[in-house]
Amino acid sequence: MTTVDPDIRIPDPIELDAAEEARLRAAAGMMPSPAGPEYSGFEMVGIPDRPPQTEREREMYTLNEGEMLINLGPQHPSTHGVLRLVAKVRGEVIVDMDLVLGYLHRGIEKLSEYATYTAVLTYVDPMDYLSTMHNEHAPAIAFEKLYDIKAPPRAEYIRALVVELNRVFSHDLMMGFLALDMGGLTPILYSFIERDEVVELLSAISGQRMLFNFFRVGGVNWDVSDEFISRLSTWRSKVDKLIEMNEWMISENEIFTGRTKGLGVLSAERAISLGLTGPNLRASGVPFDVRKAHPYSIYHELEFDVITQQAGDSYARYMQRVAEIKQSIHLIDQIVDKMPHGPVQAQVPGIIRPKPGRRAYGAVESPRGLYSVYALSDGGPNPYRFRMRDPSFISLQAMPVMMPGLLLADTMAVISSLDPVMGGVDK
Amino acid sequence: MAHVRRSRPAADTLGRRRALSVPITAGPLVRSLTERLGEDVEHLWTDEDTVEFQIDATRVIDVMTVLRDDPELAFFMLADAAGVDYGPTEHLEVVYHLYSWKHPAWLRVRARVNRADPRIASVTRLWEGAMFHEREMYDMMGIIFVGNRDLRRIYMSPDYRSFPQRKDFRLPDDAADSPAAGVNPLERPETWDLARFRDAPGVRTPALEAEDRATTAGELDGGGA
Repeated sequence: MTTVDPDIRIPDPIELDAAEEARLRAAAGMMPSPAGPEYSGFEMVGIPDRPPQTEREREMYTLNEGEMLINLGPQHPSTHGVLRLVAKVRGEVIVDMDLVLGYLHRGIEKLSEYATYTAVLTYVDPMDYLSTMHNEHAPAIAFEKLYDIKAPPRAEYIRALVVELNRVFSHDLMMGFLALDMGGLTPILYSFIERDEVVELLSAISGQRMLFNFFRVGGVNWDVSDEFISRLSTWRSKVDKLIEMNEWMISENEIFTGRTKGLGVLSAERAISLGLTGPNLRASGVPFDVRKAHPYSIYHELEFDVITQQAGDSYARYMQRVAEIKQSIHLIDQIVDKMPHGPVQAQVPGIIRPKPGRRAYGAVESPRGLYSVYALSDGGPNPYRFRMRDPSFISLQAMPVMMPGLLLADTMAVISSLDPVMGGVDK
Repeated sequence: MAHVRRSRPAADTLGRRRALSVPITAGPLVRSLTERLGEDVEHLWTDEDTVEFQIDATRVIDVMTVLRDDPELAFFMLADAAGVDYGPTEHLEVVYHLYSWKHPAWLRVRARVNRADPRIASVTRLWEGAMFHEREMYDMMGIIFVGNRDLRRIYMSPDYRSFPQRKDFRLPDDAADSPAAGVNPLERPETWDLARFRDAPGVRTPALEAEDRATTAGELDGGGA
């Protein structure tokens, strides 16, 4: 680990006279510089133009000798959307980090209070846009509990099938993006080829390529056809080879392993305390998987183990995804074998009015962790309160914990190994 | 898409309730809860897969510490923390969802917060990950978490003065009969902050904002009811 050199000196900031600074600020559309030398000047662009609001903010934005702020994002291709990171650095070494969110905030929770239960299932689609099926699964479970109805068995099997397919391509993209963020361009191309094949399958069943809008309260929108099953088996016959090829390009690559092993280590206790879930938590050795811990849908009928890694570093988080892709494919085999015949949708009225005062919690294991919905009914056609817990929102909190002591260039390797999707983070 | 056909539901599935796929027995959990927490547990209620109770908001730290550290309970994971607004004349509520290895049920803990003085103790000391949950609740609902050392807004900009997920914050709507129709969002009385111009342009700390809101909310409640 690189140690911080206490004698490091940074050059004096560019000295601008007040008139010139005001002119440049106006030209850049910025507010006039507030009074006080510590808040003026272009070189301090990361510092907010206002006094700190909290103890932690004061600590973060107070610079000691030799420290400076580096602003990453929000328009940075490696931040997986519009995430802004403010890094306090001493030379190349990160001392502290602050996350600035909200650039993609659309207020989906509030909008959902103005939509019928059926319409809410379309609102949640663009949240975590790489796991759309999971986004719809949790509200579907919660609303079914609210309305006291169960989806038919075939619908539950189709649900499990599509969410596992979704998990395959989501983890697959994570492999490619992690390599891309460390300078390897090739794997992402293969990842997108694999993703496209899964997306083709899912669009054959749902009619959409990205925001599938496939789940309904009490079932799914369409039944799977025999043609779909045959296309699925064609995909199934090649997928092992494709995954193997992608893995072969990344997992043993010397540059990749050199840059990810031992990076961003989280202990099991710290990971639990930080609220990490999903592959990120299991990579730290905690065998928590909602599919096992609190089985929903048909997962209690399927055979699988909770995979864990022990290292808790970026490489372990990567290897965890690779293992989970293989596990998902194994689950898909079981689901297709066991799929019963029958209806795919229970009869549900177009406008659902659950009994007033009912409340329900639905949780699923999304590719990024525990994704849950808490819904309240007041007897009307719209949810009284609709709350979503997005796993990437919570797991981003690990960044300021993991980064101090690492190099600035490792930021992307760590954030990419957490696999956040800003659509879900900002809701 | 011609090959995709829509199945009609069979008559035997019409609205009939099936057993939960994994039935749970809440008995041991309910017994442990009443044993360990005693009078703190109010309005105990069980669902098919959830055990729920209310606590006094002043007791949140004590209750959560017992829930997390007691070996019989061992609710090690804070799955979710959410705010709920029950309307301008009612209270706010903080809802915690916890998970334990020992019990196959979700545990829901509800704590009422006074709307005129929306303060509750922060659980960031027990779970670091509660930080973003609490910042979001502060941002959206205006609930003040005492003891949280980074209670800033998280989604809205730092100089924003309203709380969008409160029920008296209505969405602008084109419909003529909407209560918020034709009202400029900045001039909506329910989001109007009387202290808005008093201390501009400085941004105020959560503590001062809370003080403002206490007086503003008091006036609104009195006028609206």
